[in-house]
Amino acid sequence: MTRAEHDTVTPADKDATGEIAQPPGHVEVWRGNEHSPVEGAPDGVITLKDLEVYYGDFRAVTDVNVQFGSKEITALIGPSGCGKSTVLRCLNRMNDLVPGARVVGTVAYHGVDIYGPDVDVIEVRRRVGMVFQKPNPFPKSIYDNVAYGPRVTGMKVDSMDELVERALRGAALWDEVKDKLKQNAFGLSGGQQQRLCIARAIATSPEVILMDEPCSALDPIATAKIEDLMAELAKTYTIIIVTHNMQQAARVSQRTGFFTAEADEMGHRTGRLVEFDTTEHIFGNPSDERTEAYITGRFG
Amino acid sequence: MTTTTVSFGERLRSGRRSSTASMVFTAVLWACMAIICAFLFFVLFTIIQQGVARLDGNLLDRQPSQIRPETAGVQSALFGTLWVIGLTAVIAVPLGIAAAVYLEEYADPKRWYNRLIELNIQNLAAVPTIIYGILVLAFVVRGPLSVGAVVLAGGVALALLILPVIIITTREALRAVPEEIRAGSLALGATPWQTTWKQVLPAAISGIATGTILSLSRAIGEAAPLILVGATTFITFNPDGVFSRYTTLPVQIYTLVPEDRDAYRDLAYATILLLIIVLLAMNAIAIWLRNRYQRRW
Repeated sequence: MTRAEHDTVTPADKDATGEIAQPPGHVEVWRGNEHSPVEGAPDGVITLKDLEVYYGDFRAVTDVNVQFGSKEITALIGPSGCGKSTVLRCLNRMNDLVPGARVVGTVAYHGVDIYGPDVDVIEVRRRVGMVFQKPNPFPKSIYDNVAYGPRVTGMKVDSMDELVERALRGAALWDEVKDKLKQNAFGLSGGQQQRLCIARAIATSPEVILMDEPCSALDPIATAKIEDLMAELAKTYTIIIVTHNMQQAARVSQRTGFFTAEADEMGHRTGRLVEFDTTEHIFGNPSDERTEAYITGRFG
Repeated sequence: MTTTTVSFGERLRSGRRSSTASMVFTAVLWACMAIICAFLFFVLFTIIQQGVARLDGNLLDRQPSQIRPETAGVQSALFGTLWVIGLTAVIAVPLGIAAAVYLEEYADPKRWYNRLIELNIQNLAAVPTIIYGILVLAFVVRGPLSVGAVVLAGGVALALLILPVIIITTREALRAVPEEIRAGSLALGATPWQTTWKQVLPAAISGIATGTILSLSRAIGEAAPLILVGATTFITFNPDGVFSRYTTLPVQIYTLVPEDRDAYRDLAYATILLLIIVLLAMNAIAIWLRNRYQRRW
């Protein structure tokens, strides 16, 4: 069964049959993923221009110029400490929470610099949702977890029950939790918790979903479910995912950015974007030898 | 080959190398525990033995009397304690939690004034209680406010006394809330205020409640600052407001103990027992709250 055939059924239906699209860890060699290959340049729904991020005096990442395409999955890969998570956290200004973090350059969302002076950071985060590395449900009921975003952002909703159901169905979790919506979210398994976090993120109807190594704390089966879910979500949402797992990047994404960190003569390591292209190109025929070395496992 | 296997197995089995030292250490730890417990149980036992006779209806029903101490009670002191501690809670809890939220969630720790505040709070927790009594005597009982020796003054003194403790325990409870909860809330578009109010404070409530109740139960046992601010020693009426004169259980005990008549001493023991019961009840509530709302991350 291929992913393409699966795309005709909703994730919720899939779960009802108890089937998982493909056994975990099944990709050995890059053979292209089942999404239609992307042509041309991305539309640049988020565009980074000369992005530089500092933590205090430490320059974590520099010289990032990239355009992300809407309704695509873009993967950011690279060795630890290369700044890919830092770049991701700039896209909804979560770096604001880090004391001493400073962003230079522009992060343009629909052409508006979200670090501009009169930008409402709350509005940015409502439109650009985020799923974290470790599942972080709130210590509340499943229902309240999903309803939290719409409530705090003052969304006008006709029926919160419907919205919660829609979000949980969208995250392929509804059938597993519909009878225990009032139970504490901590009772769910790790994979279910992460899908709950995805449901929570899509409940506020964002346009972009950032995922920071969303599967690194999950087992292969839960990972496969999340990956299927991502393919489904990419029809509606723009997804940018940071991952350490190159097979995962190859499986799910249409475009890939490769970061690496190189020490300068002073010994300071600063992350850079080495190459950004279609996933097919990055994994099949990378232009930069550093990308090739990383992909083939000779480095990193 | 065989010899290697045997010696390897022997090495594995002879793993408890320093078993003597470990036993001695365990024994010392047990001895320390035993001494502490023996002391505690001796005190408790003595108080119960001496006090249980007068722990009767009269103790709660009647007012102190210098004519008939055999049947006198400490009702005015019990009510005084409840009034003072209630007022202490009303003043100290909101202030303390608010200060802790500011320091933990909003303050920039790099600013010199925030560091100064933090340092001062640490120091205030170590200030002798009598100093708070003097402070309130000078500024509330007399001086600028001049409210006199009333419940309000006692409440202010005890509130000042436990404020640093409440701030410190609340900050610890807030710090125990994982950063991911805050990040998750903010990433959904919640404001810092919504994040604090709807996620962080509810998640920290058990720690905050426990710390608050424990510091209140410390305040309940205080006599020194209250004597200074005039928790008058002989009061035969219950306080009826924050501007009423009052006495409290520890102050009552303080005046009863030096009396040489047996009836007074019995009454003092019974009053101590009553105070301990009130304290244990508060600690029990604290433990119950902690278990009831405990969260595992």
